[in-house]
Amino acid sequence: MASDTTDSPLQIVGLSKAYRVGFLARQRRTALDSLSLALVRGELLGYLGPNGSGKTTTLKILTGLIFPDSGSVSVLGEPLGSRGWRRRVGYLPEHPYLYDYLTPNEYLDYAGRLFGLETGTRRASARALLAQVGLEDSADVVMRRFSKGMVQRVGLAQALLNDPELVLLDEPMSGLDPLGRRLVRNIVLDLKARGKTVLFSTHILSDAETLCDRVAVLRSGKLLAVGRLDQILNVDVSALEVLVSVPGASLPDLPGGVRVHPAMSERVRLDVPEGALAPVVAAVEGAGGRVLSVLPTRESLEDYFVREMGPPAEGTWAPRD
Amino acid sequence: MGSARLSRVQAVAANTFRETIREKVLYNLVFFAVLMTLSGLLLNPLSIRQDEKIIKDVGLASIELFGTLIALFMGVSLVSKEIERRSLYPLLAKPVSRGEFLLGKFAGLAFTLLVNVTVMTLGLYATLWATRRGAGPELLQAVLAIYLGLLLVVALALLFSTLTSSALALVLSVCVVVVGRFADVIRNMREVAPGVPAWATQVLYYALPNLRNFDLKTRVVYGDPVLSSDLGWIGVYAASYVAIVLGLAFAAFRSKDLQ
Repeated sequence: MASDTTDSPLQIVGLSKAYRVGFLARQRRTALDSLSLALVRGELLGYLGPNGSGKTTTLKILTGLIFPDSGSVSVLGEPLGSRGWRRRVGYLPEHPYLYDYLTPNEYLDYAGRLFGLETGTRRASARALLAQVGLEDSADVVMRRFSKGMVQRVGLAQALLNDPELVLLDEPMSGLDPLGRRLVRNIVLDLKARGKTVLFSTHILSDAETLCDRVAVLRSGKLLAVGRLDQILNVDVSALEVLVSVPGASLPDLPGGVRVHPAMSERVRLDVPEGALAPVVAAVEGAGGRVLSVLPTRESLEDYFVREMGPPAEGTWAPRD
Repeated sequence: MGSARLSRVQAVAANTFRETIREKVLYNLVFFAVLMTLSGLLLNPLSIRQDEKIIKDVGLASIELFGTLIALFMGVSLVSKEIERRSLYPLLAKPVSRGEFLLGKFAGLAFTLLVNVTVMTLGLYATLWATRRGAGPELLQAVLAIYLGLLLVVALALLFSTLTSSALALVLSVCVVVVGRFADVIRNMREVAPGVPAWATQVLYYALPNLRNFDLKTRVVYGDPVLSSDLGWIGVYAASYVAIVLGLAFAAFRSKDLQ
C-alpha cells in the first residue's frame, strides 16, 4: 500500500511528550520523541512496541486526554484541537472502565447522546453492535456482573457507535479469551472491508501479523520503523522447516548444518539450510521414513523484535498469544 | 449555549444523577423520613409551641446536614473518581468538551440534591401535619437558602476534585466548609490574635465562602420575617461564588493531563 499522505485521515508530525516524574516532579521522562506518522485511508495499521514505548501516550494525545509538548496532528483533515472530527472517530482505551452501575444499553445510549445521535439511531446502533459483539442477551444486565472480556466488548461497541471513519484501538484484545479475540479480529477485518481506517495498538505480535496492512514500531518513544511487514522483516528464505516421520524416530546420518529438534513420537522437525533439502529428503526416504511438510522459514515479527530490542524482559511484550 | 452543547451537558448530568441513585445515596431519605416522623411522635407530650419549633429546627438542620454530607461525599468524587477509574477516557474522546463535562457533573449532583432536599422537606411538612402543628410556606425560604448553600459546597468539592485525589479533595472540602460556617470568626480574628495583619483577615474573609449567609433557620423558626431582597442577595452571592469556583475548576481541568 502506498503511503500517500495527501488524504491521510491521521497525520502526526514531530509529536513529543515528556512526563514529569520523581520527587516534586522535577525530572522529565520522555514518552514520545519527535514522532511522525501518517495513516493511509482504509488501512489497518498495527502500532507496535513493548510496554512503555509510547503507544498509549500517542493514543491519549490523539483523543485529547493529555497534551503534547510539541508537534502537530491532523485528524480527518482537522487540527487536533478542533472538536469536529470527534464525531467521526471511535476510541477504545486500554482496559476500559465503563460505569459498572449501567447496563450496556444504558451506556451506549449515554455515549450516543454525547455523539449527538438521534434516539432512534442510538437504539438501532446499540442493538446491532451488541449483537455484533455477542452481548445481545446481556444488553440489560448491569456491567457490575460482567467479566473483563465482556466489558471489553462493550468498550468496542461504544467505539463503533458513531460509525467512525477512523478507529483508534488501544490493546483491543487485552483481557479476551480466544473466542473473544477471534470476534474482535473479525470486527476489525469487517471495519477494513468497509473502508474504515484503523490504528490498532498492540504488543501481541501475532495479532499484528494476522491483521495489519502496515505496522509502525515504537521503541522508547521513537518510531523505529514503519511499513508493510515484508518491508520491515527480512523475507528472504534463509532456511526450511522440514517435518519428517521416521520409524522409531531414529534418524539417518544427515548433511551438515541440519538442526534436529526433539522428537514427538515418530515425527521429527528439522531446520534445513536452503541448499541441503534434496540430500535430507533422500536420507529420510532411504531410512524408510517420509517427508510430511516443507515450510520456508522467514523472519517473524518476534524475530524482528528480538533483533532490534533484544530478548524480552518479563511482561514487556508478548511474542505469541 | 447551543442545543448540541446543552444536550451533552444534560447527558452527563443525567448519568451523574443515575449514578447517585444506583449508588443508593437516596436511601438516606427513607432513614431521614422515618427519623423525623418518630421524633415528631416522641415530642407530642411537650407543649405545642415549643415542640413545633424543635421539630422545625431539627428538620431544617437535618436537611442541611444530610445535604452537606451528600454534597461533600458525592462532590469530591465527581471528577477524581472518573480519573482514577479511567471512566473519563472514552467519554472525552467524544465531542464533549471538558467544560461541558464539568458543568454536567455539577448539574447532575445539583439535581440529586434538589430531589433530596425536596423529599426531606416534604418529610418535614408531613411530620408537622401529622402532629397537627403549623407549617406555613416560610419554611421554604430557609430550605431554599440551604439549597443554595449546598450548590456552593458542590462547586467547591468539584474544584478540589479536579485538582487532587478523592481523599485529599474531601479533606480540603471539609476544611473549607467548616471554616465557611465560622466565617465571622475569621473577620474578628484580630480580637484574639492582634498580630495577624488586617489585610490577611480581610482577604481570608472575602475569599472563603461565608456559609452563614445561607442560614435562615433561626429566623424562620422564630418567626422573624425574611424579605425577598434577603433571599435575592443570597441568590446573587451563591450564583457569583459558584460561577467563580466553577471557572477555577474549568481552568484547572482544561489543561490537566489525564495520565
